[in-house]
Amino acid sequence: MKIEVLFPEFCNLYGDLANMKYLQKCLPEAEFIETAFDQEPVFVKEEVNLIYLGPMTETMQERAISKLKNYRKRLQEVIDQNTVMLLTGNSLEIFGNYIEKENGEKIEGLGIFPIHAKRDMMHRWNDMVLGKMKQQEDIEIVGFKNQFTQSYGENTENPFVLVEKGTGLCKESKLEGIQQNNCIATYVLGPILIINPLFTKYILSKMGVENPRLAFETEVMEAYEKRLEEFKRIL
Amino acid sequence: MQHIRYYLAFYLAKLAKWALKMLKRDATYFPGKIAVTLCPDFIGRIEKPETIICVTGTNGKTTVCNMINDILEDNQVETLNNRLGSNINAGIASSLIEGATLRGKQRKKIAVFEVDERSSKKIYPYMKPNYILCTNLFRDSIKRNAHTEFIASILNEAIPKETKMILNGDDLITANLAPNNPRVYFGIDRLDTDTKEAQNIVRDIIVCPKCNTKLEYDYVRYNHIGKAHCPNCDFASPNIDYQITNLDLESKKMTVKEKKEETVYPCISNNIINIYNTLAAIAVLRELGIEKEKLQQSIAKLKVVETRFSEETIEGIKVMMHLAKGQNPIACSRVFDYVKKEPGKKAVILLLDDLHEAVNSSENVTWLYDTDFEFLKDETICQIVVGGARYLDDKVRLLMAGIEEKKLLCMREEKEVAEKVELENIETIFILHDLYAFDLAKKVKERVRQRIVEDAQKKGEMQHEN
Repeated sequence: MKIEVLFPEFCNLYGDLANMKYLQKCLPEAEFIETAFDQEPVFVKEEVNLIYLGPMTETMQERAISKLKNYRKRLQEVIDQNTVMLLTGNSLEIFGNYIEKENGEKIEGLGIFPIHAKRDMMHRWNDMVLGKMKQQEDIEIVGFKNQFTQSYGENTENPFVLVEKGTGLCKESKLEGIQQNNCIATYVLGPILIINPLFTKYILSKMGVENPRLAFETEVMEAYEKRLEEFKRIL
Repeated sequence: MQHIRYYLAFYLAKLAKWALKMLKRDATYFPGKIAVTLCPDFIGRIEKPETIICVTGTNGKTTVCNMINDILEDNQVETLNNRLGSNINAGIASSLIEGATLRGKQRKKIAVFEVDERSSKKIYPYMKPNYILCTNLFRDSIKRNAHTEFIASILNEAIPKETKMILNGDDLITANLAPNNPRVYFGIDRLDTDTKEAQNIVRDIIVCPKCNTKLEYDYVRYNHIGKAHCPNCDFASPNIDYQITNLDLESKKMTVKEKKEETVYPCISNNIINIYNTLAAIAVLRELGIEKEKLQQSIAKLKVVETRFSEETIEGIKVMMHLAKGQNPIACSRVFDYVKKEPGKKAVILLLDDLHEAVNSSENVTWLYDTDFEFLKDETICQIVVGGARYLDDKVRLLMAGIEEKKLLCMREEKEVAEKVELENIETIFILHDLYAFDLAKKVKERVRQRIVEDAQKKGEMQHEN
């Protein structure tokens, strides 16, 4: 089992690397490869079971796009081959068509998802999300979104979450994120795998783990159920 | 028309201040809010003191402001300040209204304002401080502050070009603020406890901002605090103007080198955070021309305010209350590191939740995973008792940090922690609390005190019977 964490030195803004630390505890035998920004990603030449990319600063987004453009074709290929990918926070936008700044300037993205983002650095958008996974509706997702952007475009066929409370890709949407095969991109950030144990099991099974077991399963389930109850009550 | 608007705002705000004071209500925000709402450039129009010092940064700004004000007052210099009020534009406006006569003339010559980083754009275009001190820039509230690059960009856009910057030279993000402004740096020379590799989860400056080459750290103190240079260009930690060259915690003294001359000042705390805070205050006051001897005398009288830190020994058990600001990973990590390094067997009470969100919302827990709970995994820490709405999340986080489950007690009811904390064989009990949980922490401490006293009485009676 091989897991590649892309650019962990930068893409770690909101406790996101805890997702990988948690997976390490769930999969003690797995190999975790931390690919630094100045290295060639492992997925370019090898098969991996999971590719993870977390949220980053706006400056870093531009650098990450420039870097990953070199591997755009390969990224599309690994998505088509059903490799599991998890893109959290604004790393989702890198895979879209473009990011539009306040002055109208457009930063061209990888063009893998048919969406684009609009930045507004003076207005932070904070939200909580509760909904069901589109591809497995018995899994409820809870999460936090904190961003300077809204995304627009086409995700009606393949959203990650059907939002019940909170918002989707943009304020007007109830469809959160995108799931293309096993590539899941979501604005939900932070320790998404720790606070969503059922989703983590889903990810593990898609990675090929049989009968996945979670670290601290009793405790994470208890915390998950409490949060579910809270979100249903307050949102 | 603009004059009329200003005067209307001024006198209505004065009236509101008077009315609120008559009603014994807080008048440190609302009058200013009226003023800036009616007259958006109110801060620009009202007369201001001759010298203005603003203190900003993620952590320590309240303590540094308190220190500057206390030392100036100890030297018979009265200041206009916002120490009891808000640090956003309405708070600054309220202070300026408070300090002005009915004719709009300022009574005091020096102002010391704590300024929220995000409010810079609403303050500095209208008020040009003589000095801006920045204590440090770290990750802070995810909702408001996003990340350090964002906060630094806000400050860089807002800081007037004439203002002299007083900057933490050990913080490479802070040190590069307003790069064309006049500046001095404060910092602490290499310490025995510094390391070559980072011990923390978060480090927010990894590459050179000029050429994107990975920075080489000569040493790391914590997070991105330390000394670094770029191996590819001239970017490096700056030369320090006010530098602690010797820190003698046993005799509570610190030596500060300033223009090749060394002066020994009292060191009021063994916590690195407060050592930085004291040094920052020294740098400002020296820039203002306060004599070293006067500073030495005044610093000896300083105390960190109770809402930040207090210490008391009850029947042989030390009880320490320490602010551990929620949603602020570095502030909490520093406190956890401090707890780990304190001698003796310890029990730790954690009250980290936002009490308002505990009732009305479901607090964002992302920050827990930027915070070094791993420091609490130490054999000298015998028990960790957690209270609050996020007790289940905290338990998972503590388990993730590798802390044994048998050491953990996590509960919803905050006040119960006082009943559960272990007293047997414990030398120090830490009560670590969020900013808005101070009153709760005081109640917890009171109950802990009762238990310690009762316990001591029982032991005394048993000894007497035997």
